[in-house]
Amino acid sequence: MRKGILFLLVFISVSCFSQNKQILYNLTSVPQSLMMNPGADFKYRFYFGVPLLSGTSFKVGSTGFSVYDLFANDGVDFNQKLRNVVYSTNRNDHAAINEQIEIFNGGIKLGDWLEDKGYLSFGMYQEFDLFAYMPKDLAILALDGNQNYIGKSFNLGDLSMKSEVVSVLHVGYHKNISEKLIVGARAKIYFSGFNATTTRNSGSIITTTNPNTTVYNQEINSNMSLNTSGISKYTKDNYDGDVATDVRKQLLFGGDMGLGFDAGFTYYPKDNIQITGSILDVGFISHSKDVENFTWKGYYKYVGTNPNFSGTNDPNSVYDDFKEAIPLDTLHNKYTTLRPIKLNASYKYSFGTSSEEDCVCTATEKRYKNAVGAQFFMMSTPRLPITALTGFYQRNFSDKLQLKATYTLDSYSYTNIGLGFSANLGAFNMYFMADNLLEYRDVSKANSLSFQFGFNFIFKDSNEPPYRN
Amino acid sequence: MKKYYLIRIITLTLFLMCSFSCSSDLNFDQANDLKLTPVIEGNLSYFDIPAPSFVADDGSEYNFASDAQNFDVFRDKYFNSYLQRADFHFEITNTIQRAFAASIVLLDVNDNPLYTINFDVPAYAGTANIVTKTEIFQGAKLTMLKNSRKMKFLIAMKPGTALNKNSTGSFKLRSSATVYLSI
Repeated sequence: MRKGILFLLVFISVSCFSQNKQILYNLTSVPQSLMMNPGADFKYRFYFGVPLLSGTSFKVGSTGFSVYDLFANDGVDFNQKLRNVVYSTNRNDHAAINEQIEIFNGGIKLGDWLEDKGYLSFGMYQEFDLFAYMPKDLAILALDGNQNYIGKSFNLGDLSMKSEVVSVLHVGYHKNISEKLIVGARAKIYFSGFNATTTRNSGSIITTTNPNTTVYNQEINSNMSLNTSGISKYTKDNYDGDVATDVRKQLLFGGDMGLGFDAGFTYYPKDNIQITGSILDVGFISHSKDVENFTWKGYYKYVGTNPNFSGTNDPNSVYDDFKEAIPLDTLHNKYTTLRPIKLNASYKYSFGTSSEEDCVCTATEKRYKNAVGAQFFMMSTPRLPITALTGFYQRNFSDKLQLKATYTLDSYSYTNIGLGFSANLGAFNMYFMADNLLEYRDVSKANSLSFQFGFNFIFKDSNEPPYRN
Repeated sequence: MKKYYLIRIITLTLFLMCSFSCSSDLNFDQANDLKLTPVIEGNLSYFDIPAPSFVADDGSEYNFASDAQNFDVFRDKYFNSYLQRADFHFEITNTIQRAFAASIVLLDVNDNPLYTINFDVPAYAGTANIVTKTEIFQGAKLTMLKNSRKMKFLIAMKPGTALNKNSTGSFKLRSSATVYLSI
């Protein structure tokens, strides 16, 4: 039990963020921008990523508390710090980790240089996701018990978390359907390595005083469940394999599968105004292999040990009654999980024509040096969606180098400044992005940090329409 | 050459940023100090015997009543090992015109008595007699409590005014437990 609580705690304390990649979004000199919007205005003859290094992103975030709050080496008793964190957060505070690594990716323009048959892009990436809400009431109950909370209803629904590893195989297509509009879509096949979901819990534990009969009215009403797939074999006592290797194997073979899609567009109402939008990961995974569902459902009213003096031997026992009333069952029913849906939208205004002739662009190309704009991000979670609003400034120093600076407002912080660049050395493209730069003064106090980087080879489309960045 | 220069500056900036970024002194080993110490309030037992229940159909009195109840929460090995201290609070309200001697006996798995809690309850004489008692189980006494599997309730009615089927009042016990755990 203690181990379990510790595990939970470490999960929550390590964890932290949503999947907003505000710097990468619509930075169309980077192929990975296609993963944020399949209708991004990214043109190429063909490109491919450096295997395993083409796109790595990592994001951690937590609202309500930081690693420092819990683990500062300041002489304060850890249990006191934990109490402070628990009492200063609310049930909607959450922690999240998201990590993505592209295994391979590539793209090719369809048709010859004169035709516009659209662009194909494909690849595979692996993703780890963890999202946990602060189980506030349960934490209070575990830390302090009910003594000071007579009359309070402890909400069992406060426990809500999910974690999974998936591999995603995808194929996307985008095309200029007119001079001003590009649309794109991407089909995805998900392979689930493992999944653990406990997001549909409800119920309460309540103790109220009773002036007449028993001292207290004590009731537990529980409707809790945990669904897992791909985990049971690792938790068996006789398991002696290597978890990392086996999860990896399971990611492709023998695991569960699902389907999904992304869709997006880029629209230019004017030459220097760009509007984009995308919806990502509309899909599901059906979990049917190696499934275990743990349920703890029932109602129990605890009245204590009450004699009736009837002379009959009453086999009634509190311990057994309780176990019968709210049994812990293990079932093997398949279940379906939905992927967290992400919405992105942006508005960009470009200005300042480049005078720099350092680039090898053609004379007819009209390109802008600067752009400012706003982006909106929303992601579905087990409760209310997470939203973020970003303002950005983008500067093209030349054809070879783009910089993007962002300022983001979200539930994690109001001072999130991010910076990223994409540079081309010949066909070689590299990018690096990080946000919450101010937090680097003391990373332990950061509520969220994220970074993305990758290396690709991009071979430019020789028949590029006027540059619009 | 300007672009390479820029890249160099940016790379350098990022590198510097990373190297100048710092972290406060953290100590993750603190997690080992985690100790949950909930204090839980719960019902212990309750009964309410009306006066006529002490009178048999033929009008004679039952002077003695007893009932043994399973009291087996300590069968749970986790609960057993987490338990640090338990306080039992008793409250007896007697509104019957007779005095009582009541005891609660903790029995072990072989029905041997381990511990007895005695109550001396005076007869009702216009105002309710409320007898309260708190038993604190700690140390050796706690070990005894952990070994108990049954709770036996004994009530003996002392001599006095005869009761009949129309006698009023009741003998009521309410009790709760405060349980101190350390997990």
